[in-house]
Amino acid sequence: MSKVVVLGAGISGHVAASHLRRKLGKNHEVLVVSPNSNYQWVPSNIWVGIGRMKSSSVLFPLKPLYQRKNIGYLQSKVIQFHPEGDLEINKPFVLVESVEESSKGKLEKITYDYLINATGPKLNFEATEGLYPGKNKTFSVCTYNHADHAWENLLKLIGEMKNGKNVSILIGTGHSKATCQGAAFEYILNVEQELRRHKVRDKATITWISNENELGDFGMDGMLLSYGGKQIRSSEMVEMVFSERSIKWIVGAGVYKIEDGVAYYENLAGEYKTEFFDFAMLIPSFSGHGFKAYNKLNIEITEQLFNGFMLVDADYTSKPYEQWKVTDWPETYQNPNFSNIFAPGIAFAPPHSISKPRISPNGREIFPTPPRTGMPSGISAKLVADNIIDLINDPKTTLKHKGSLGNMGAACIASAGYGLMEGSGISITTFPIVPDFEKYPTTHGRSIKKTFGEIGLAGHWLKLALHHAFLYKAKMRPFWWLIPE
Amino acid sequence: MQTKFSRTQKFFMMNPFIQFVRFIILSIKILIIVAGGHGGTRRV
Ligand SMILES: Cc1cc2nc3c(=O)[nH]c(=O)nc-3n(C[C@H](O)[C@H](O)[C@H](O)COP(=O)(O)OP(=O)(O)OC[C@H]3O[C@@H](n4cnc5c(N)ncnc54)[C@H](O)[C@@H]3O)c2cc1C
Repeated sequence: MSKVVVLGAGISGHVAASHLRRKLGKNHEVLVVSPNSNYQWVPSNIWVGIGRMKSSSVLFPLKPLYQRKNIGYLQSKVIQFHPEGDLEINKPFVLVESVEESSKGKLEKITYDYLINATGPKLNFEATEGLYPGKNKTFSVCTYNHADHAWENLLKLIGEMKNGKNVSILIGTGHSKATCQGAAFEYILNVEQELRRHKVRDKATITWISNENELGDFGMDGMLLSYGGKQIRSSEMVEMVFSERSIKWIVGAGVYKIEDGVAYYENLAGEYKTEFFDFAMLIPSFSGHGFKAYNKLNIEITEQLFNGFMLVDADYTSKPYEQWKVTDWPETYQNPNFSNIFAPGIAFAPPHSISKPRISPNGREIFPTPPRTGMPSGISAKLVADNIIDLINDPKTTLKHKGSLGNMGAACIASAGYGLMEGSGISITTFPIVPDFEKYPTTHGRSIKKTFGEIGLAGHWLKLALHHAFLYKAKMRPFWWLIPE
Repeated sequence: MQTKFSRTQKFFMMNPFIQFVRFIILSIKILIIVAGGHGGTRRV
């Protein structure tokens, strides 16, 4: 009998746990450890943040589902890794702290044969002085609670606009190395559409602020897309969308401080500037959780597992942008020092960014860190589950299931406004996610056949269809596994 | 560079009948990319 412990029940943790349970015999144990008692479909938080979806529609409680499906569940957070065990326990374990009401603060050592670290990112608001959801007029849509809060305040502002107040709205990245530009991009377009729906668009100046060197970089070094039979750059596409919606933009901006209604930033020219706002939604920096690891003798070995995020089979040698290769990116998400530990989704440490690193004359790094969206998070989790199943069946086997971001496509359906007939979506697919300049030297590292953009109502329907399909899948309803990651 | 969408482009983007067809095509195109699979990049 083997015991697989999954840390985190976000997209990657939940995908891994559900596939393991479906494919592993009942004699094997699958245990999920996660502090949030709910599963949330994060991409739909955008719609919670504009009041078009209730937060209850994007989440469901995990415990009853896991009970029905024979998946163990602990509402706890991991705090330490002991991959060799300790002097008391001769087995690898993680130290977890309960966050459940009845046992809050209780520490427990959870042993495992295989460990999947799917704890995603820490939303590192502290990295930007004064940036915290609900403080200084800044908000977030990164969780359903944040999104609810953002909408409450946006609605208040809409009320004031109806009474004649002119306002400034600032949306984008709240740190010089933040990622997840796509989510902010969706939010700015949805907010813009909602203001039109409430007939107060003329009362608002809406501004995009981002650490991207140019519009449409999305932390992916931009894209050359086929669009309407032509080849265009993602920057041109986003510029058209923003111009159409009268959205202003500031790029190459590293926000470093927030005060009440003021964002302080430095740009790539080294100029220090400010931007005033009445409402801001700024994506924070994503960091690792700061976990510590210890060996059998309780000596700290954190650097064998983490460099912030978890180390996996990537090439972490430091090299200039010109020498980056797709082979730098991990394929199996296995930790090189402990072969029974894996880290899919956002939890793994990327070898470097995808966008070209840029530094201001004052030495501030201003560029997006690599995004890891839902699809690669799900795919990497499933292949980790499949490799663990193979290892359980034959511990000597080599890992057969592989999925590098340099050999994987992604579909990003960005909502550009809600509504069955007046909604809109910007659908972008890329293959591969990490550009392969050797394979596709003339089309910015990507297959132009598989890298395309499309704008329109169909995109909104697709995003809505995906919302329902992925929640159906996550609830493990009949034939859920037929829905691809 | 074109900086705004033309009237025809806008009509195309929001016409529900055209968009229904685009919805089917888009779903299939995306499924092909997803089903197209993934793999490693290193030679072993
Ligand atoms: C607003 C927003 C919109 C987005 N929209 C899209 C989109 O349209 N399409 C798309 O593809 N992607 C989108 N993304 C990205 C997508 O949400 C992420 O790729 C995905 O959530 C990553 O999954 P994950 O499981 O790696 O991490 P997460 O989803 O962050 O899950 C991490 C899990 O770990 C748990 N955890 C945290 N700390 C601990 C601990 N100490 N111990 C145990 N468990 C812990 C958390 O509670 C959570 O359950 C969006 C992201 C945001 C923020």
